[in-house]
Amino acid sequence: MENPVAYRDLARRYGFAPTPESVSRLTQLVARQDSDIDEIAKVIDKEPALRARLLRVANPDAENEAEYTVDNVEDALMRNGVGCALVLAMGTPLLLALTKTFQTMLSLKLESIDPQTATPLDGEHILGTIGFSGKANGSVYMRMSIASAREIAAGIFGSQPDEITDLNEIKDTTGELLNIMTGNFKSNLCDAGLDCKLQPPAVDRSEDLYTPVVPGGGMERMAFRSGKILLYIDVTVNPWND
Amino acid sequence: MATKVLSVDDSRTIRMIVGKAFRPYDCQMVEACNGEEGLATAAREKPDLIILDVTMPVMDGVTMLTKLKEDATLKSIPVIMLTAESGRDNVLQIAKLGVRDYLVKPFKEDQLIEKAGKIITLQKKAA
Repeated sequence: MENPVAYRDLARRYGFAPTPESVSRLTQLVARQDSDIDEIAKVIDKEPALRARLLRVANPDAENEAEYTVDNVEDALMRNGVGCALVLAMGTPLLLALTKTFQTMLSLKLESIDPQTATPLDGEHILGTIGFSGKANGSVYMRMSIASAREIAAGIFGSQPDEITDLNEIKDTTGELLNIMTGNFKSNLCDAGLDCKLQPPAVDRSEDLYTPVVPGGGMERMAFRSGKILLYIDVTVNPWND
Repeated sequence: MATKVLSVDDSRTIRMIVGKAFRPYDCQMVEACNGEEGLATAAREKPDLIILDVTMPVMDGVTMLTKLKEDATLKSIPVIMLTAESGRDNVLQIAKLGVRDYLVKPFKEDQLIEKAGKIITLQKKAA
């Protein structure tokens, strides 16, 4: 194993933003496979955002917290399996990377919204998918309306949305968004010992709103809004592919 | 003579952002969309700086960097890695091969210019 001090020195020299401690800890615990569920629950309980996301995953049919039938972290882990904790851990770097991408490349503030209260997509939209395989196996699905994808492409290219007429420009910007998000969480997985490789992103128009959950894994659905832009992200992963 | 910068990335979006970042400066931009093209362009154009992605089809950035450093005529060209991957093993491997700097996507154009400015002379274009 490489010297962690050497990496820390390089990370400092290159100016990397550190991964949140709770995310690294959670990923390491899940990667071990034999971790105690109480240990995992303690890490999640300390982080209100993680706790809220886990309970949302554990109560897929509830429209609000008052309707939750599973209301504590231990029960949520027992019911959904420890693997779902990894989906949460992966969602955090993805969420941070997406928010930062909007801030730095589009000068837009992106807010996370409850996917169950977000206006659902209807009909033809842009679907971007990127898979990763290795010790951890899964996919990220990003969906948005064609108008939202056009807004994003226009923001990145510094033009007006109606000037974006080439579908390839939309595909390229959507694919790069996916690359940035998944590259960030892939680093977190690899650092925890769950080595995996990214597949090239695939982006196209689609009417398919179904997200298949990877066998043996879990899934988290997230939604984001910035002005007229609405983004829907599904992450599905099996941390113990072998 | 203008400073020459080679951007190697399979994403047109990123190549465009890199080009935009250097636009206010007296720089000539050249582009390649994978490592194989990047090596050929580097040999032909002899750039003063290469901005290199990691995950690309045909030939990835790590392979291109390895081949670049093995080539006596190209090995002295400074390289800044520009990638979304900052995992420990990746970074250690790339650092060992010899890069001048490393920038994680998403990035601000100012950050790229700041890092590039430490390696090459960037002169603002005359108004």
